[in-house]
Amino acid sequence: MVTREDVENIAILSKLFVAEEELDDLTKQMQEIVEFADAINNAPDSGEEFDNINNLSNVFREDVVVESLPCEEILKNAPEQAEDHFLVRNHN
Amino acid sequence: MKYELVSGFETHVELSTNTKIFCSCTTQFGGEPNTHCCPVCIGLPGTLPKLNRQVVKYAIMAGLATNCEIAEVAKMDRKNYCYPDLPKAYQISEYDKPLCEHGYIQLSNGRKIRILRIHIEEDAGKLIHAHGDTYVDYNRGGVPLIEIVTEPDFRSTDEAREYVEKLQQIMRYIGVSDCRMQEGSMRCDVNISVRPEGSDELGTRTEIKNMNSINNIVKAMEYEYERQVDVIENGGKVTQETLRYDDATNTTSSMRGKEDANDYRYFRDPDLVTILTSREEVEEIRKTLPELPAVKQARYVDEYDIPEKDASLLTKYRKVSEYFDEAIEGLKNPKTVSNFIIGSIFRRVETEKDKEAFDVSVSPKHLRELVKMIEDKKIQNNLAKKTLEKMLDTGKPCTEFIDESDLGGVDDSALEQMCKNAIDGNPNAVADYKGGKEKALMSLLGNVMKQSRGKADAQAVRAKLIEMIN
Amino acid sequence: MSEIKKIHDMLVSKQISCKELTEKYLTEIENSNKELNAYVNVTPDAALAQAEKVDAKLGKGEEIGLLEGVPMTLKDNLSTKGIETTCCSKILTGYKPIYNATVWEKLEGEGAVLLGKTNMDEFAMGSSSETSYFGGAANPFNTKHCAGGSSGGVASAVGANIAPYGLGSDTGGSIRQPASFCGIVGLKPTYGAVSRYGLIAYASSLDQIGPITKTVEDASIVFDAISDYDPKDSTSQGRKGEPTYNSLNNDIKGMKIGIAREYLEGVRDDVKEAVLAAVKVYESLGAEVIYFDMPSLKYALPVYYIIACAEASSNLGRYDGIRYGFKAEHYNGTHDMMCRTRSEGFGDEVKRRILLGTYVLSAGYYDAYYKKAQNLRGAIVKAFDEAFSKCDFVLAPTVPMTAFEMGHAVSDPVETYLTDICTVPVNIAGLPAVSVPCGFNADGMPIGMQLIGNKFNEAKILNAANAYEKAAPENFKETKWGVKL
Repeated sequence: MVTREDVENIAILSKLFVAEEELDDLTKQMQEIVEFADAINNAPDSGEEFDNINNLSNVFREDVVVESLPCEEILKNAPEQAEDHFLVRNHN
Repeated sequence: MKYELVSGFETHVELSTNTKIFCSCTTQFGGEPNTHCCPVCIGLPGTLPKLNRQVVKYAIMAGLATNCEIAEVAKMDRKNYCYPDLPKAYQISEYDKPLCEHGYIQLSNGRKIRILRIHIEEDAGKLIHAHGDTYVDYNRGGVPLIEIVTEPDFRSTDEAREYVEKLQQIMRYIGVSDCRMQEGSMRCDVNISVRPEGSDELGTRTEIKNMNSINNIVKAMEYEYERQVDVIENGGKVTQETLRYDDATNTTSSMRGKEDANDYRYFRDPDLVTILTSREEVEEIRKTLPELPAVKQARYVDEYDIPEKDASLLTKYRKVSEYFDEAIEGLKNPKTVSNFIIGSIFRRVETEKDKEAFDVSVSPKHLRELVKMIEDKKIQNNLAKKTLEKMLDTGKPCTEFIDESDLGGVDDSALEQMCKNAIDGNPNAVADYKGGKEKALMSLLGNVMKQSRGKADAQAVRAKLIEMIN
Repeated sequence: MSEIKKIHDMLVSKQISCKELTEKYLTEIENSNKELNAYVNVTPDAALAQAEKVDAKLGKGEEIGLLEGVPMTLKDNLSTKGIETTCCSKILTGYKPIYNATVWEKLEGEGAVLLGKTNMDEFAMGSSSETSYFGGAANPFNTKHCAGGSSGGVASAVGANIAPYGLGSDTGGSIRQPASFCGIVGLKPTYGAVSRYGLIAYASSLDQIGPITKTVEDASIVFDAISDYDPKDSTSQGRKGEPTYNSLNNDIKGMKIGIAREYLEGVRDDVKEAVLAAVKVYESLGAEVIYFDMPSLKYALPVYYIIACAEASSNLGRYDGIRYGFKAEHYNGTHDMMCRTRSEGFGDEVKRRILLGTYVLSAGYYDAYYKKAQNLRGAIVKAFDEAFSKCDFVLAPTVPMTAFEMGHAVSDPVETYLTDICTVPVNIAGLPAVSVPCGFNADGMPIGMQLIGNKFNEAKILNAANAYEKAAPENFKETKWGVKL
């Protein structure tokens, strides 16, 4: 059973605001989706752990420096920047 | 009631790889803000991590040097939390299958501090808070770290101090990190609880985050110990919380706001594949490890008859011990070399950082030549010491400062004449000696040595003087 | 005949210049995009500049590659340097990547002419393209119906002849389902065959880029061009073996086609009929059909949604208003800024999936949902392994129905999830599958079937699909739209 508190809690973890008036609706929707996911509860569990889809291992990169991008490129899409830094103003 | 301190450490050590853990940007310290960055390490949408081979190797080396078992199968997980210094909103780390487990570091009191695990992960960027605003620099973002987690095995701040020093020493020896606490390449989180002495239950613990000097660690632990004892003695209960230590006021304070929910939702990172380490690879890596400081120190004491304290000084920094090892090659008496390093050279290499680099103007070979002259009785210890100072000043070999006349000592007739001069010139000293004052002989000996300008063999002078006085 | 080859021949024989060709497409986009909403960003300047380069080469009598000068489009979740890439989300508005996705790096290197970026469900989360910040893409067979999703824009554009081909991405059917809805071909390659570098992640262990084309031959040509090992993607392996194009010999005699009964359950009658008719075509071509059960498939849908949403909740954490894209205008403090940016920037479906993903990974629920789903993923992989010990490929409907009417998909999330029933098993097991048109319903809306192969067996399924296309060309119908060559 998904409760309002569950939804509030996962919203905090997800860094999402849920307005008070949306909460009931969303809880109901989440309950429906979780019920749908609950179908797997009846499935037999082999206990085996799933590795990765193609069972790949030891894919590495060599420790060789490649030149980084210039600061202007890195900051190009920043909504706000100042003095070569990404900037988050405290208030807006 | 008496209370016992119970403490465990989580230490983050930045690895000295050339590149970051998941991209090819440099790990160099410093640099203009956001100039050691690429699409991967600022987490641009669509970018993917690729694991640096050297990070795995260094972590395994760290594990072997601290007596860990190396996992045959390891994997990378995502630790999810949102913070402006974490560009992907998750840190790639290892959760339930770390590379290294079940090791220990032995302290000088014989106790073993058990190491629960060592895992690899990425560092976050740097936040600068100014006039209420936040400035973000991702140069450090993605620099490889190992996190070394101990069991709650510490019972005193002395043990904590020794552990951190030992850990630093080991990591520097095997070359995986420079462990500079002031630059942040080594940071400690310390968890602390107290319990009545004799109890074997664990009390509620607090965790002090991100301390960057050994002195602060000790002070913070002392403060937190007292605080917890106070709380309990006044009938209160210690709350489990994360604390920050303020060294200006020497106090701890709670760190997290209520907006930071604490559920990291670890799951395997689907962008990275399994890490398999064969037993053969582990043995290969083990072979590349240098002799570790504890082993080396014991050997210096046993084989070279060097006092424990000096052996510890020589092995504290890998470069120093390497210098020593090279200088003593073929010599009969390594102790002389040890005395010269600790007595003369260390006076010129004062800071910890300088000792770590140990960039000395006199090469080990030149020092060896000088000591060889003593061993061959070509020059006297005193003269050698003075010569070493000149060598250190100039970087030139000892042959530059020892001329023909210095070599070969003093012949017998000359020695006899000098002794005669000394005896004749100091009747009081002679009388004192005859009266049983052994020490009086020393001033006569000094007189002769002065006449010979240090060239005479002190043993021979002493024998001659006694013979002549009697 | 292959659309790409046709264009290539026209360019080489100078029946049309690359510039004229590109202009034709741009004009038709201009004419029809208002109604279709296939493109969200048209890039005429870059397209014409590239076309001129190709013309210059042709003018000098130089040879050109098969894809050189051929116009195309990319789904808007593929990173294109300097060209806005939004995933059709408000949260990425204005984002101009500073790097190229590997697939675009490859095609650009081959001289492809990018016409623009196409519409999709926001962050590829949806089955109708209607969760797009820019509104849904319409179906070229009937614009009252959606083009499907999430790669609805590419399918709409290719179906309407305003792009000869395009690249989409498929996490739970997002290439095959819109291809099926729009009566065209869509290939979801084996996980790892095509580099994911530069594909803006929805669910990393399921996502795969692939072509959406008019014909099977085209799908083969494009797949061959993009399937290569990429050192930037740790899960990349590239195509294994020869280019698939070399093995399109239409010889399927003696091939064993497997049909898992579970795939036909709950499928609408007209769809089932069309698929079974296609099976008959295969039998007439000399293939053998075997039926079996795959009971673990009944868990595929919840397994898919649990894994996909869990990964998505983590992948989408990075949209916080600091480094790129949209940032909330009014806020109080950094934490508030991040929450407002995300709350204002993401649409409802994306938020629902982030919340579900957070839920199934959170303390106390991880074992019951995420861990169990991973375990069942292993069981589904095994079930397919077993199936491929008995047959060469599995034949199934692509979608249990035809294209929904606009507005239908958004009304009930769970009901919409159910429409992915036939497509998700392939992603769960990391297999290749190609959707091809196999008929029309009474209203003239296309029906698709998919051929599912064993890992890295793209050549086999493309050959079988091509044989079908040659045997049943009536199912590959032109629409009234776009460029007529």
